[in-house]
Amino acid sequence: MQSVNMVLKKIVRSSVLLFAAQHGTKKNLFPLSRTLSLSLCLKQDNSCNPSEKLDLDAWKKVMKSGLQQEVSEMVSEHKELSSLAAAREILEMWRLAGRLVPENISEEQLKTFMECPSKSAKKKYLKFLHMKELYKKNDKRKMDEKRERRLEAQEQASGTAETKRNSFMCFWASSMDRVYNWRVAQSMIFGQPLIFDMSYEKDMSVREVTNAVRQIVLSESCNRRSVDPFHIHFCNFKDNSLYQKEFVKHYREAWGKLLITVTDQCYTEVFPKDKLIYLTADSPKVMKTFDHDKIYIVGSMVDKSIKPGLSLARAKRLGLETAALPLDKYLLWNTGAKNLTLDQMMHILLTLKDTGDWKKALEFVPKRKYCGFVSKPVHELKKTLNLINTLKLGKRQEEVQKEFAKNYSKKLMPK
Amino acid sequence: MAFFSQTSRQSFQALLWKCCTFWSVSRCQKLFAVSFNIPNREKITCLSFVTSSSTALPVDLRGTDGFPTKKGSEIEYEEEKGWDEETKEISERQVHFSSSVGAPKKQLMSQLLSRHKFTNIQPPEKPLQAEEWNRLKDSFRTPEIFEEVMLNSMVKCNSPIDVAKSLLTHVANSKGDIAYSLLVKYLALCVQQGKTTEICDVYDIMKIRFKILESGAYTLIIRGLSNSDQWRMALTVLEEVKKAMIPSRANYESCIIAASRHQEMNLAFELYHEMLAKDLVPTLDILQAFFDFSRGMKGAELQKELFGMLLYLRDNQIYPHKTFMQSIKQWFESIPGGKWRGHLTNIKDSGQCPVCNHQLEDSNLTEEDYNNLRERIIRDVIHGTDTYRKTSPQEFEAFQTFVENRLPFDIVIDGLNVSHINPRKIQCENLFDAINCLAKQNVRLLVLGRKHMLSNSPNWRREIMKEMQSKADFFFAENISEDDAFLLYATLQSGKHCKFVTRDFLRDHKACLSDSVTRHLFRKWQRGHQIVVFPSAGGSRINFLPAFRYDCVVQTTGDTWHIPYKDVFEEKYSFHAPRKWLCVQQK
Repeated sequence: MQSVNMVLKKIVRSSVLLFAAQHGTKKNLFPLSRTLSLSLCLKQDNSCNPSEKLDLDAWKKVMKSGLQQEVSEMVSEHKELSSLAAAREILEMWRLAGRLVPENISEEQLKTFMECPSKSAKKKYLKFLHMKELYKKNDKRKMDEKRERRLEAQEQASGTAETKRNSFMCFWASSMDRVYNWRVAQSMIFGQPLIFDMSYEKDMSVREVTNAVRQIVLSESCNRRSVDPFHIHFCNFKDNSLYQKEFVKHYREAWGKLLITVTDQCYTEVFPKDKLIYLTADSPKVMKTFDHDKIYIVGSMVDKSIKPGLSLARAKRLGLETAALPLDKYLLWNTGAKNLTLDQMMHILLTLKDTGDWKKALEFVPKRKYCGFVSKPVHELKKTLNLINTLKLGKRQEEVQKEFAKNYSKKLMPK
Repeated sequence: MAFFSQTSRQSFQALLWKCCTFWSVSRCQKLFAVSFNIPNREKITCLSFVTSSSTALPVDLRGTDGFPTKKGSEIEYEEEKGWDEETKEISERQVHFSSSVGAPKKQLMSQLLSRHKFTNIQPPEKPLQAEEWNRLKDSFRTPEIFEEVMLNSMVKCNSPIDVAKSLLTHVANSKGDIAYSLLVKYLALCVQQGKTTEICDVYDIMKIRFKILESGAYTLIIRGLSNSDQWRMALTVLEEVKKAMIPSRANYESCIIAASRHQEMNLAFELYHEMLAKDLVPTLDILQAFFDFSRGMKGAELQKELFGMLLYLRDNQIYPHKTFMQSIKQWFESIPGGKWRGHLTNIKDSGQCPVCNHQLEDSNLTEEDYNNLRERIIRDVIHGTDTYRKTSPQEFEAFQTFVENRLPFDIVIDGLNVSHINPRKIQCENLFDAINCLAKQNVRLLVLGRKHMLSNSPNWRREIMKEMQSKADFFFAENISEDDAFLLYATLQSGKHCKFVTRDFLRDHKACLSDSVTRHLFRKWQRGHQIVVFPSAGGSRINFLPAFRYDCVVQTTGDTWHIPYKDVFEEKYSFHAPRKWLCVQQK
């Protein structure tokens, strides 16, 4: 016990001393520290043996000596750099400084980088490329690991070279594809149409368009696999548009064989107006049930920079009915915008079509955006929440009581 | 509490200030920060639980990536950030003036946490031998980034430079080369402590080792050199930066302040004009340096330049802060033979300066500006990319004819905005009170609302609506239309005498205007025509804050200057016009 005490005392003392030494200069703050720091300095001087003396500038010598031959090379190639090469140099330096910069960059990307209008745009673009590179690397690493595992498994399996007999029929991917295609072909004839409005290209940046196309590809594939697919229409689809280029990039030669209807006409020319419903988060009307006779329109737009009211304006211009998903009614919304991605929309619509169950359909809303499903109407819950908050914040008693009274009286009133 | 912290050699004031920032952060967060910062030193000092270095972390003033950037104001006076991550020293000046206003707690928190990810490493107090470094490195969780983390925390704790040197020596001896990022961090440490010779040495090494440097290192070098007596070297470095890229305004700031400190005014002005030509926005520190260092100097040229800067403030509707205002005042009073006297004052509502009885500029726009603004509001705010976004062509046309038939109005009221003033009353009563207050003065009122106000709901009783409609003209827009756009249009159509009533700051509408000149016009017009409503303290009555009769910008008549300024602690949004003025007159 005593020894422990001793140790503790020592530690305290030494720490105080160290601390005092650090602050020894501020004598006005610590009248005590003067003597302490002095004694400590003496101690330190004694402890520093000349044999232990470090050459603190050794690193400079190392750096300079190792560079002599390099310098001579450098001088020889000191000529005016082209702007591209100069940009490359700067990128390399940024990478060395530990910023988020891709290791390899193509000429095309470099040109895009130089065309960025501002510093922050450049920074964002580089970060984007850097992340892309990281994902690629990770994917490759995983693939390699998988391959190794497979080879190992094969080696083990080759010892027991018996073909397993199975009484089950084996389905191959190609035959599954055929089944799906039959279904979609049927939906092309008898199915309920679902329209993607492709008229937003000029409202989007290039990256937003690529994202939109990716989302549409995802939704097309999940539509193909569903039990009862929609008949997908791309309306207002212009040839040689950026959309088309991106689609061809994704689908390659399959683009011509897709079982969807692509037209440059507007949906109002293809379908009767009274059947169309434009789905938009800005709509004042809330969708109550999924109607199997109506034709829903989804605006194929990604708005990273928020553009409120753009799709609502389209619907207003054409005089179409609009609807929004009843997110507020069924979900206790937490954060995030209420506009969902196109593939989430597709999942939700397909689920509604099959089951009509909102709770099941809205499972596809990202979990981070809501706290949970609600059974009671949301506005009542909110009142309760407010009440709890006021109680927590400790407002005056009478005010809380007043609010109580108000809430109760309002409940009796029809909303 | 912070006296026992490990942050050595920080100025007392900075420490105190840090404590202040930590008062603003909630307590639980403090505890959180502490819990994340369990120091893994060999010897845990008994005092460290009081607070350790990182609990008294300077909340970074530059607004690191965690902070939202305020896109609302045209010109931000915040330090350049982001790319120059390593440069995190706090000079006293920045402590006072560029603290980011009201960073949300949540973001502050995440920032703190992210900082705490790798900061639980305590730099040693004196230089270590190679084997000691090795031992430390092996005990560290992720040895491959040990040196970086170590140097980072040295910069944070402001360790003695010799410790950093010993680490670099260790690295150089074991690897034969030192990575660029380590050199930059070391450079940051040298700049922080103003070791000029070291800065020059590192710069020389970097120059022979690398063809060009990147902006972060250049910024550090320029800052380090410009604070020393080698400041002319900073200018040569600036020239070098120009070859590779556009220097940042922070670079220019360092050089200009260095030049003006050494009374090289012409050089400073040259640099200043150069940066203006490159479309860089000068920081207030630059302008303040000019006023500070030309105190007591003679010269018509110099005076012209500084007056030009004041007019720059005028053109961009910038309000200097208190210390800057003091610099301006002292400069005026120090002009030899100028006989200028400065007084601080509040301008009366009539727009008369109580000190010199001079009537301030009228807040009205010129005919040309007025028409220009009206055109732009119609084009950009109401129509924008698609008329259907805020209204519809039919509705807008109907509104236009409605307004034309009833012109001119004296006051246009944003009905829905005013109706929410007092939450204790139902909405139509609020509106009714406001209309009654305004209608007494025998003026023509127009109230803008939406159609749902006509539906006889508990909030909108039909009989009260009827009574209101007898006192004022009403226009009801569609429920999904924007009523603010109509408000602007009706006010502008009625003419210059017409005012509008709303609590809205109209920021989103200002943002629709595409160029800064029009945005400034809009602000000026808004200041002169907006009547702000607010409930009285008891909530029983409604108060009106009248529109400004005078224009709230820096202004001059030749022998007087009137300069509005802000207290430091005031919010710095562009829609808050300051109420305090500096009046300078020539006897």
